Amino acid sequence: MTFEIELNGRTRTVSVEKAGSAPGRFRVSIDGVKTTVDAQRVGEFGVSLVFPDDSHESGTVQLAPVGARGELLAHVAGRTVPVLINGGRTGRVADAVAGAHGEQKIAAPMPGRVMRVLVSPGDLVDARQAVVVVEAMKMENELRSPRSGRIKNVAVSPGMSVEAGRVLVVVE
Amino acid sequence: MKILIANRGEIAVRVIRACRELGLPVVAVYSDCDRGAPHVRDADQAVHIGPGPAAESYLRIDRLIDAARSTGADAVHPGYGFLAENTEFARACRDAGLTFIGPTPDAISLMGSKTAARRVAIQAGVPVVPGTEAPFDATASDEQMRREAERVGYPLLVKAVAGGGGKGMRLVETADGLLGAIQTARSEAGSAFGDPAVYLERQLARPRHIEVQLLGDQYGTIVPFVERECSIQRRHQKVVEESPSIAVDVRLRHRMADAAVAIAERANYTSAGTIEFLLDEDGSFYFLEMNTRLQVEHPVTEMVTSLDLVHWQIRIARGERLTIDPEQALTPRGHAIECRIYAEDPDEGFLPSPGLIRGLRAASGPGIRNDGGVAAGYTVPVFYDSLIAKLIAWADSRGDAIARMTRALTEYEVIGLKTTIPFFIWLMREPDFMAGRFDTTYLDGLLASRRIASFSELSDQAEKRVTIAAAVDAWLRSSSGRITSTQRTGTGAASLDGAWKRVARQEALRG
Repeated sequence: MTFEIELNGRTRTVSVEKAGSAPGRFRVSIDGVKTTVDAQRVGEFGVSLVFPDDSHESGTVQLAPVGARGELLAHVAGRTVPVLINGGRTGRVADAVAGAHGEQKIAAPMPGRVMRVLVSPGDLVDARQAVVVVEAMKMENELRSPRSGRIKNVAVSPGMSVEAGRVLVVVE
Repeated sequence: MKILIANRGEIAVRVIRACRELGLPVVAVYSDCDRGAPHVRDADQAVHIGPGPAAESYLRIDRLIDAARSTGADAVHPGYGFLAENTEFARACRDAGLTFIGPTPDAISLMGSKTAARRVAIQAGVPVVPGTEAPFDATASDEQMRREAERVGYPLLVKAVAGGGGKGMRLVETADGLLGAIQTARSEAGSAFGDPAVYLERQLARPRHIEVQLLGDQYGTIVPFVERECSIQRRHQKVVEESPSIAVDVRLRHRMADAAVAIAERANYTSAGTIEFLLDEDGSFYFLEMNTRLQVEHPVTEMVTSLDLVHWQIRIARGERLTIDPEQALTPRGHAIECRIYAEDPDEGFLPSPGLIRGLRAASGPGIRNDGGVAAGYTVPVFYDSLIAKLIAWADSRGDAIARMTRALTEYEVIGLKTTIPFFIWLMREPDFMAGRFDTTYLDGLLASRRIASFSELSDQAEKRVTIAAAVDAWLRSSSGRITSTQRTGTGAASLDGAWKRVARQEALRG
């Protein structure tokens, strides 16, 4: 089986097939580079990997479903990275990195109050530039643009209370 | 004694543990979204007190008192935050015949006002940061405020009298910005604390935040503890605390302890409390404020003194005398560091990331303490502070404690959520942090200088590992061998379990 795995803005084609009869043995090829891995399920979301034929390197990765189908959060050695499987279908992970394209709606991730609006319609913004400051959970939170572009619409003003999911700013 | 805990999250769990150890029955309270929280599961009894928003549940004095009455609790532990420093709540408990496990209403009220607390410190002969003695009332003229500011000296901070956590606080560099800053601080303080009064305080250039924990019993004995260093702050919020401080030697420790005791004595203080100081580069220190409650960072003190502060809060409340050896309280054994693990995305400016915790593996092993308040299957609510656990590492030396903390952080798995763990792993390796070269401005400066790169940057090796794991995971979850099948996720435990069993069955057949 072949999967497209998107991680840190890079998509790799990975094929996986069972290797012989040994349980958990797989032949994996990443962009054509082949390796053998011994993979074991750990708990509900974990995969323990050992590379028995070359480095003997061992490690565990936790992969939890989040958001839309194919969208995962991977935890490895204290780090957390979004992963997308066969990604073209949702494009959600792509939105989270600077490579996002198309019109982007910046929505409130939780209920809160708009403290400051940092942009106006027509403004040019860089990827990850702060556009709105929302106070929620006792902290001021900067919401940033997922891409560079032009502010198409500002739907809120300072002092407004917003619900989770409310669109605040649209970037095109 | 039967104790009702008027709080939630990790601190409720912490207090439950102390009650268990003392053989005391314990009552939890919960809002709608906390029905499945660990503090509810761990208590002997639990009382529902209202909907998610704190104002309708954890801040409802009437419902908390009713909950104590209906369960026969005779004491209330307020934890920290919520009503912990609320005079009205302490009074309501007393009036209802409940023992409030904390200081007296008078002490809370006196030390809760920043300007009154400064006066207490001055009377106790303890230096305070230069500032205005009385808050500005609404009639203060512009001219009067400008004159006061000149006397205090620039740069200065405009601070809310009822403030805390950086709210109602403004930095003013020069005279030009003064009146505007006072106006903003007033409106912020008014909406946040219901009290628009502000005062001025000089901004020290590079101060460290050093605080002295103390306990006072009902017979006038006050015991100070070895200091905590809390200079690692993001926007005035502590994120890492440690004990002892690398900047405090034995002589300074005793001087600060003496100053803290002098202030607490003046306030007739009982129970656990903390005197916060700013330590200037030249070694002089100034009283900042007093916290009249148990603090978030109390575990580092417990780790280096082997004393249990919550046990003592309870024992003091039931009239016992403090029998702690003052030497033990003031002499650190080893070094302890605490990281506050929040459900926040450090790569998005520490934006809260509440949500479902799919799985949880807390760090453990030698020298590690985990004070957690969440569990697998629990959804971190949007209504409260998003602290999910405090991870504390103890070791013989500071260097070893940092290494141990790093080890524990890489073990910690909060599956399905973004947390501040990657940020802490990064911070533990910062040269200035490792060397102890920092002040309260350090972290904000450091973060401002590295905005774009991710805290979860992976090595090529780790990236390869994640990629392979994701592919194998998808393979394991898909039904056997159909190339088109790339479905997964968003499913419950049952179907995942099913996929795994299917694979296992195939395996068995092949074998």
